[in-house]
Amino acid sequence: MTTRLLRLSSFRYLLKHPLLMALSILGVALGVAVVVAIDLANTSATEAFRLSSEAVTGRATHSITGSRDLLDERVYRDLRLNGSIREAAPIIDGYVSAPGDPGRTLQVIGVDPLVEGPFRAYTGAADSGLDLGQFMSARPTGLLSAFTATSLGITEGDSLEVAFEGKRFVVSILGLINSESEQAARALDNVMVVDISTAQNLLRMDGKLSRVELIIPDSEGGASLLQSIENVLPEGAQIEPSASKTDTLAQMTRAFSLNLVALSLLALVVGMFLIYNTVTFSIVQRRAMIGRLRALGVTRREIFQLILGEALLIGTLGTILGLFAGVALGTGLVQLVTQSINDLYYVVRVRSFDVSLWSLAKGMALGIGATLLAAIPPAREATSAPASSVMRRSEEETKLYRIIPKLVWISLATAVAAFGLLALPGNSIPLSYTALLLLILAFAGLTPGAVILFTRWFKPVLSLFGGVVGRMAAQGTVTSLSRTAVAIASLMIAISATIGVGVMVNSFRSTVEVWLSYTLQADVYISPPGLVFRRNDATVSPDVEAVLRNAPGVAAAYSVRTAEVTAGGRPSDLIVVEPGPQRDQGTRFKEGGRIWGDADELEKVVVSEPYSFRYDVHVGDSIDIATDSGLKTFSVGGVYYDYGSDLGAIMMSRKTYEAHFDDRGISGISLYVEPGKDVEEVIRSLRIGLEGKQEVLMRSNRSLREASLDVFDRTFTVTIVLRLLAVLVAFIGVLSALMALQLERARELAVMRANGLTPRQVWKYVTLQTGFMGWMAGLFSIPLGLVLAYVLIFVINQRSFGWTLQMEWSPAILIQAVLLALVAALLAGVYPAWKMSRAKPAEALRDE
Amino acid sequence: MNKIRISSIVGVCLLGAMIWITGCQDPVNGVAERSSVDLNTAMSGDTTGYARARPGTELVFPADYGPHPAFKTEWWYFTGNLDTESGRQFGYELTIFRSALAPETPGNLGEAEAQSKWSSNQLYMGHFSLADLGGGQGGNDQGNSGQGSEPQFYSFERFSRGALDLAGSQASPFRVWLEDWSMDGGPDDLFPLRLRAQEGDIALDLTLSSLKPIVLQGDKGFDRKGADEGNASHYYSFTRLETSGTIGIGGDLMPVSGTSWKDHEWSTSALDENQAGWDWFSLQLSDNREIMFYVLREKDGGSGQFTNGMLVQSDGSYSPLSREDVSIRVLDSWKSPHSGATYPSGWEMSIPAHDIELTITPLMQDQELNATIRYWEGAVSIKSNTDVTGRGYVELTGYK
Repeated sequence: MTTRLLRLSSFRYLLKHPLLMALSILGVALGVAVVVAIDLANTSATEAFRLSSEAVTGRATHSITGSRDLLDERVYRDLRLNGSIREAAPIIDGYVSAPGDPGRTLQVIGVDPLVEGPFRAYTGAADSGLDLGQFMSARPTGLLSAFTATSLGITEGDSLEVAFEGKRFVVSILGLINSESEQAARALDNVMVVDISTAQNLLRMDGKLSRVELIIPDSEGGASLLQSIENVLPEGAQIEPSASKTDTLAQMTRAFSLNLVALSLLALVVGMFLIYNTVTFSIVQRRAMIGRLRALGVTRREIFQLILGEALLIGTLGTILGLFAGVALGTGLVQLVTQSINDLYYVVRVRSFDVSLWSLAKGMALGIGATLLAAIPPAREATSAPASSVMRRSEEETKLYRIIPKLVWISLATAVAAFGLLALPGNSIPLSYTALLLLILAFAGLTPGAVILFTRWFKPVLSLFGGVVGRMAAQGTVTSLSRTAVAIASLMIAISATIGVGVMVNSFRSTVEVWLSYTLQADVYISPPGLVFRRNDATVSPDVEAVLRNAPGVAAAYSVRTAEVTAGGRPSDLIVVEPGPQRDQGTRFKEGGRIWGDADELEKVVVSEPYSFRYDVHVGDSIDIATDSGLKTFSVGGVYYDYGSDLGAIMMSRKTYEAHFDDRGISGISLYVEPGKDVEEVIRSLRIGLEGKQEVLMRSNRSLREASLDVFDRTFTVTIVLRLLAVLVAFIGVLSALMALQLERARELAVMRANGLTPRQVWKYVTLQTGFMGWMAGLFSIPLGLVLAYVLIFVINQRSFGWTLQMEWSPAILIQAVLLALVAALLAGVYPAWKMSRAKPAEALRDE
Repeated sequence: MNKIRISSIVGVCLLGAMIWITGCQDPVNGVAERSSVDLNTAMSGDTTGYARARPGTELVFPADYGPHPAFKTEWWYFTGNLDTESGRQFGYELTIFRSALAPETPGNLGEAEAQSKWSSNQLYMGHFSLADLGGGQGGNDQGNSGQGSEPQFYSFERFSRGALDLAGSQASPFRVWLEDWSMDGGPDDLFPLRLRAQEGDIALDLTLSSLKPIVLQGDKGFDRKGADEGNASHYYSFTRLETSGTIGIGGDLMPVSGTSWKDHEWSTSALDENQAGWDWFSLQLSDNREIMFYVLREKDGGSGQFTNGMLVQSDGSYSPLSREDVSIRVLDSWKSPHSGATYPSGWEMSIPAHDIELTITPLMQDQELNATIRYWEGAVSIKSNTDVTGRGYVELTGYK
């Protein structure tokens, strides 16, 4: 019976403060929404990637690959001719764009239909049959997924224009691939199935395959079959389980995804402070009632449960709301996340947004868990005190004052522990974020003490503004410290997060800008259009190369080749450069130095800083690279700065490359214009010379720099969105905290009104007080923000990507932060000020 | 004659996609589904643009041992009856089919630099079957497989494009191959001819030499198949090939010897509308004569007017057999447990003009190939009204 009555009283209390309750729910909802949205965006991108690779992998258990992700087609022929294995299928896969529908990328899968049977089942084309003669002919023909065809507005018998590395082809669509299940339809979305011959022509892979797929039974016979195939494979070809490639690719984005998750959790942490504040406030408000209940014999346990129950209600409502909002937010974020993945890592297309139950469950657990966690300390405090003292409001403040020194010591200890964690060897990112959280808590713990100090120092300033009212406002901050401190701390955390992330992004950007300025020294850069901005391994056709190298007005030309190779057993980017006096200035070394021209140049490579970090490779170490003539060991001659890819890259000279690889193609070329010649003029004449040839992107130094920075900015859009969301949560937190504080003061203000304070003075009092608090929060957030930025730049970024960044911060960011805090606080004061100035003192005093 | 091959190959053009598309939907039913293609549908390909067989064309060797890519279909067909020393009997078929998928060869894409070697208008299909007919005494064979095992029939089918050396054919030196199945002639002559095929642990490695000169079927190698002009083939045979080599089953290599038969035929033909299928006989008699005869069955059950054959004498001379010369009576039937089709099983063949009365009995009933197009192709034994005996091969198509 008592429980029911208690519940009722609790419910009525919550109903009496609808606005506060709504704000608390909203705070939790936003925190949960951000976490869920990021999780959904990440899993959707991963799922889309898995599906698209499954569409290609089919039932294959193993695949044979070559160096540079290319396999000589003769490897397949020889396997067939010597009868090693029947269930083998040649595969070419790649991507083309559809110029008729800008932005659309089609995945091209080249197969040999005659041996496809055991590997992949594309149903649906069967009823119309397929004209093998046309499919295997030299004319480009293909099958398109029915869904994709519909969205492109074409049907069987039509043709589709596609472009690869600047060359266009018209592909006749011989048939449509229908899928029985939604799952299969999604896997085949934007997939075009063509014959091996067509794939070689479209993707310019004459004589090459992407790989040979095999079905090898998981048995003893299978093991010996595997061994026998391994024995006949030529140098440079290797056999591996099919899943490993997909796994490696998925791992590329691991650090990227992890950091997004961590940033989203930050929003939840801010949300937790909000809950803490709300629950504390609700207890303080019912101090008297709780005391009476205790006096009447309600046990501590029952009170504890009551308070937690209320928190649970808020938490659950907020979480449910947050789940819905998260799904909505996620649909937007998934585009940003996949855009970044496409810019940085690999081509991935997300057609459908996956709302996985697992993501929702995680969000639910986090939301409710965080709420309970935040509610436990105030609930315990309310129940641990003797019944008589709970009833006294002043008791609480006295107690806080007493523990401030202790709190300072604990906070300092926490900070020391956090730095200890950061100093630990190893590269654990979760541990780094834990340290970050500890630092935040330490700063939060120091807040009450800091508020007292600041109030003491700035009381005179406030009295200058508002006389007695100003002094009262300042003093009021201290007298109800138990709540003001929490509100200030929440605001401080939120603002410091924006400072930390802002400074980190700024530092990153300016480091990249400096890097670009010395890396991009040439006047004109030319490359075929590729699909992944930072890993363009498209090939410039030889006739275009000849025109570029011999063009009038060109003083020097340097080629670059980007290829994917297997180094140390892992797929890695290889950058092949043509050394030369001008080009060499573009590379700066962290360790070692230039190796071009060394006597043993052919056995040497240099690696980028992220590569060195990721795989712990330094000058003097060696790397085994699968070359076209088998596995070769190269020694590392240097580590160079590079911000182009967090995956890391290996660089070697053109001479070394040609000694070990059969490839003579180039991916891009940079031109130095003769002194005195106009760059734009040279570009114009180059364009004329290239008329009718392969379409290439020709960019001046400046436009390439801009394009690079555009990609950079695009990559950080998600981060900036997250930062804004954290601010929003903080803003709501401050709004509700300050509002609660001022509303609680209603009686106190009524007394003052009764003693002659005018409504105008009430306005002034409230505004000054919230303004003062906001200003303090902004001020406190500066050191915390800079510490966060420091940890993000020098620890978390280092541990995630291995980049050396120069910390760079402008006073503007800091001023912005303080202003943001001030504005948030002032806005939060408007409603209470308005309400209290209008309240009739008599009514406010009546319940005496 | 064995037009199954025409139909198969035409069928492949049509069904290629299906094999691939439905091939692994249901590994059990997939096969049946593939086989259920109507013969007439399969053989009603468009013949525009292809070369057609013309009467009066003189066959020229060794050039005509090789491929004729302008014709739509072509096959090199070998069957034979073999024995181990201990008397264990085997029948085999190794046929490589060539089919032009389109009349034109891969042209120029207009991009000399990117011309895949994979594009091709030539498709190759291979059928390899081995009938382990059992028999023989234990211990004499190499290995210790011992007692004549239970009769067992193995058959395999494979496809490849005529590109990248995966499959191909050439006249001299003679060579036709489909991946690791191959037919290799001698350096200067067609014979000795070596056949090699292996799939899993079933293997064949035989050397063939001809005991008789070439037989030009029909009218000097021109064999009419239907009423329409051009519905005909060029066709020659080697009807008695001395054969020796090894057969491998499950790791046991067994030396074998016996007699084989070679056919080589090319055409751009289509089935007439009322034709249902055919029964084809290649019979090697102990008196050193051979008979080739086929019955083109009509849908109403009768035999069509283009039914004919050839009788080869022991000295190698040969004379045609017309529909009227030969009468055939079916003795029994067999229902396939795999496909449910019912085939004739056992015949009486009489050729009164030559005083021939034969009883033809399958050496094993289940010799059905569940390939892209289902048919029965099996080793048979022959008895006669005299002491003449024989062995041979029979092909039955279009049965449901």
